[in-house]
Amino acid sequence: MSKIKSVCIIDDDPITVFGIKKMLSMLDLAEDIKTYVNGKEAIDDISKMVDSGETIPQVIFLDINMPIMDGWQFLEKFLDLNVEGKVRINIVTSSIDAYDRQQWERFKGLTSHLIDFKNKPIRKNDILEITRVA
Amino acid sequence: MLNYTDILVGNYDRMLRGTPTVTFDYLVKQLPTATAFINKKYEVVYVSDRWINDFDFTRKEVIGRTLKDVFGEVTREWEKVLKDCLKGISHEVSLHQHTDEFGNHRWFEWTNTPWYDEKENIIGVILQTEDVTYRIRTEIQAKKLENLLDSKSEITNIGSWEYDVERKHLTWCEITKKLHEVVPTYEPNIDTAINFYKEGYSRNAIALAVDKAIQDGVPYEVNCQIITAKGNEITVITTGKPIFKKGKLIGLIGTFRDITPSLEHEKKAKRQERHFKSIFNSSYQFTGILDTQGTFLEINETALTFSGLKEEDVIGKKFWDAYWWPIPDYVKDGLKQVVKTAAEGEFMRSEIVVLDKDKNPIPVDFSIKPIYDENKKIFSLLAEGRMIKEMVAARRKLKESEQKFRALYELSPISYILSDFDTGEILDFNTSFEQTTGYTRKSLGSLKVQDILVTGSKTQLLRIRKEIESNQAFGPEEQQYIKKDGTKFPVLVSGSLVGNKKGRKLLWSTAQDISESKQSEARLREEKKLLRTLIDNLPLNVFIKDLESNKVLVNKAELDYVGLKEEDVIGKNDYDFYDEESAEISRKEDLEVMRSRKPMLRKETISVKKDGSMTSFLTSKIPLMDEEKKVKGLIGISLDISDLKQKEEELHDLINVTSVQNKKLVNFAHIVSHNLRSHTANFSMLLDFLVSETDVEEKNRIIKMLMEASDNLLETLENLNEVVAISTNINLDKKPVNLYEKIRAVEQNLTAYLKNNNALIINDVDEDLMIKAVPAYAESILMNFITNAIKYKNPMRKPVVRLSAERKDEYTVLSIKDNGLGIDLKEHGEKLFGMYKTFHKNPEARGIGLYITKNQVEAMNGKITVESAVGKGTTFKIFFNEQN
Repeated sequence: MSKIKSVCIIDDDPITVFGIKKMLSMLDLAEDIKTYVNGKEAIDDISKMVDSGETIPQVIFLDINMPIMDGWQFLEKFLDLNVEGKVRINIVTSSIDAYDRQQWERFKGLTSHLIDFKNKPIRKNDILEITRVA
Repeated sequence: MLNYTDILVGNYDRMLRGTPTVTFDYLVKQLPTATAFINKKYEVVYVSDRWINDFDFTRKEVIGRTLKDVFGEVTREWEKVLKDCLKGISHEVSLHQHTDEFGNHRWFEWTNTPWYDEKENIIGVILQTEDVTYRIRTEIQAKKLENLLDSKSEITNIGSWEYDVERKHLTWCEITKKLHEVVPTYEPNIDTAINFYKEGYSRNAIALAVDKAIQDGVPYEVNCQIITAKGNEITVITTGKPIFKKGKLIGLIGTFRDITPSLEHEKKAKRQERHFKSIFNSSYQFTGILDTQGTFLEINETALTFSGLKEEDVIGKKFWDAYWWPIPDYVKDGLKQVVKTAAEGEFMRSEIVVLDKDKNPIPVDFSIKPIYDENKKIFSLLAEGRMIKEMVAARRKLKESEQKFRALYELSPISYILSDFDTGEILDFNTSFEQTTGYTRKSLGSLKVQDILVTGSKTQLLRIRKEIESNQAFGPEEQQYIKKDGTKFPVLVSGSLVGNKKGRKLLWSTAQDISESKQSEARLREEKKLLRTLIDNLPLNVFIKDLESNKVLVNKAELDYVGLKEEDVIGKNDYDFYDEESAEISRKEDLEVMRSRKPMLRKETISVKKDGSMTSFLTSKIPLMDEEKKVKGLIGISLDISDLKQKEEELHDLINVTSVQNKKLVNFAHIVSHNLRSHTANFSMLLDFLVSETDVEEKNRIIKMLMEASDNLLETLENLNEVVAISTNINLDKKPVNLYEKIRAVEQNLTAYLKNNNALIINDVDEDLMIKAVPAYAESILMNFITNAIKYKNPMRKPVVRLSAERKDEYTVLSIKDNGLGIDLKEHGEKLFGMYKTFHKNPEARGIGLYITKNQVEAMNGKITVESAVGKGTTFKIFFNEQN
């Protein structure tokens, strides 16, 4: 299995970020891991990458409840970006609110990117499964 | 010398005075006139044949014989004449009658002249005679005719005339002259006479007629005009008859009659006849004229048209044979009798039935009237018939209505009383009166109006009397009657005055026993009152409207509601009480209900009165029908449901609150689960790492992280606890809190913090302003907002927080205005007060402060609004509910 060039983690919880990073490195799945503490930082950076023609992350781990810009707001903006190829977006949340599932369904229908929905905690097996190029 | 001429002219003297010769004898013999020569001895010497013939002496020898021998005798008179002649004295012509030997009388004009010889000696007498018998006879005849005509013309005014052809002499009698209007001495001649005739036809006709009469002997009778001497035109009939003598015309005689008056009379008669005919024929009546025997002389066209007959079918027939009688014989006899009686001078009249041309029986008012001539003698009968179909029908109707009246009179439940107006005596009454009063007809004659009437005040009686006298009627009005047994009862009386033939004033009164209606009236009043009481005490607004939606009846509840008196409401409509919109809606409902005849039931309506107050009603409108099932309005019933409405609203509010709370709870549950789960997930993950981790350093890092996670969990639990505490203490006691002081206190607590941040608090709140709040919450809220304002200060500016307050409706609104970073409300507005939502890259932001603040404000029934502009600052407004 070939390594993924770039993975990005968007989460305000440092423990979660630590966990995902650790698992990715243990499995040696990604060449580069970027982390952002909220959607705003992430979308700003990714927009820059798109503008400058850089390769954007192929797999995104996205938290929903974040300050400043939450996961849904990020997704909204991300889908507006002119992105080449399919990106795999893994929503990782501890929310069991039905509203969030509905939002996921809605976004899935809006895009050709692959969007997945996972509840925390995330195990190594999950990581292996969801960290594949879409 | 004697010549023939002398002889011819009768110059006998010269002739005879000559020498007598044989020829003389011969000459005398041939003389055309009857002549005889007598000598002194009265012996005939010479004689003409004419003389012999005239005296018819042909069979006698006369020459040489004496006159006495020839004529039988010579009268003394004649002898004297003869002697005179011998003495030379001539005598005038004289007339003598001669009777011949057969006894025929003949008349002669006789001339005796002396006979002279040559020496003028009288030697004899010459007798010349002319037989004038015919002339005399004609004259006598004419005289007789004249006498006859004269006597006749005196009666008939017929004039006469005669014309002597020989003498060309015309004579007019007096009447003829009178008719010509000439003087009595006027002497007409044939030419002047003709000139009296009117020029033209008349003159030509008469000239022709006279000419023909003279030439051909044709008598004439001509009707023509003459113009009299005085210039008047008259119409005459003139006749002429030629008179002949021995085949020779000797004259004309005729008559002359003025017919002008009779002509005029005739014209007048014709005119009158015409008038009479036109009247006679155009009369609406059937008219016929009969002779005294009943034979039709005349019949008018009305009768002919009616019967479809022609004049000739009727004239000359007997009156009773006319087909139009629907006749058995005895009727015929009756008619004969009628005609006979009329002919004796009676005027007969009766109603009979005749048949028209279609054999329909028609009632006729028929009469026969005698007509008298100037001698007062009946000479004809005038029969007249007038169709009285309508009259008969009217009479039948009258009879029917009289019968009806009779029946009504007797069967009516109303009493009828006929009384003498002046005396009050009761003359008649009907059965109803008997039944109600107990009086019977036996009491008629003694009973008076005064006996049955409970006498009211004198003024009342006087008033009734006056009313009758001026209006010929009175009433209806209530009076009291007394029964025979003395009990009194109320009656409704009215009356009208009628006059009878004798000038007695009679009063027809009707009296209706109203005891029962009085009772039922009372009952009705009672029921009405009950009903009124009922509807007035109903806790419902009740009203009745007419077709124009004007109120006809309203109950007390409705009056209380509109706040007016009954008289100010009746006749008015909704536009008078409510605002335009409410009234319009109501009118539409009314119209629909009255149109569809279907009731509108329990409809929620809102009435806005003119003063703006609003009331909710549950209204029913039910169409109101009259006896003929025609809609005449509607009944309305309204229940004031304002209270219910309010309760309902409150309930609604409560439900809203509850559902909000519920939502909040669900939300909170999610938050709790999310937060707890995120921590437990971290624990789980970290522990996983820790178990399999061999690197000590890494292990320590993981343990440190576990401890952090543990701290976070604890903090989360505390936060949750705090929120739960607020949410479960919804009904915390609110107390009056001096807002200004509270701000001061918070400021005091934050002194160090404020100083560190170089912040300024401006407290603009009225020092006396009190709010109702849970004191601890108020403090927490103030603390939170003030610290937030400074926490998110604009690094370029000195933080300034301005607090002010104002009353707004049921709230006291506290405004907290800062000059900080501001929030992009578009982006974050929804989540501003959410739990664990932070919006600034501030490490101190925990996302819990506003969430708790909001919960506290809501726990006190308040609310929070926010206005913000990024880079300029934010203003929060906290609404403290002052009511509950």
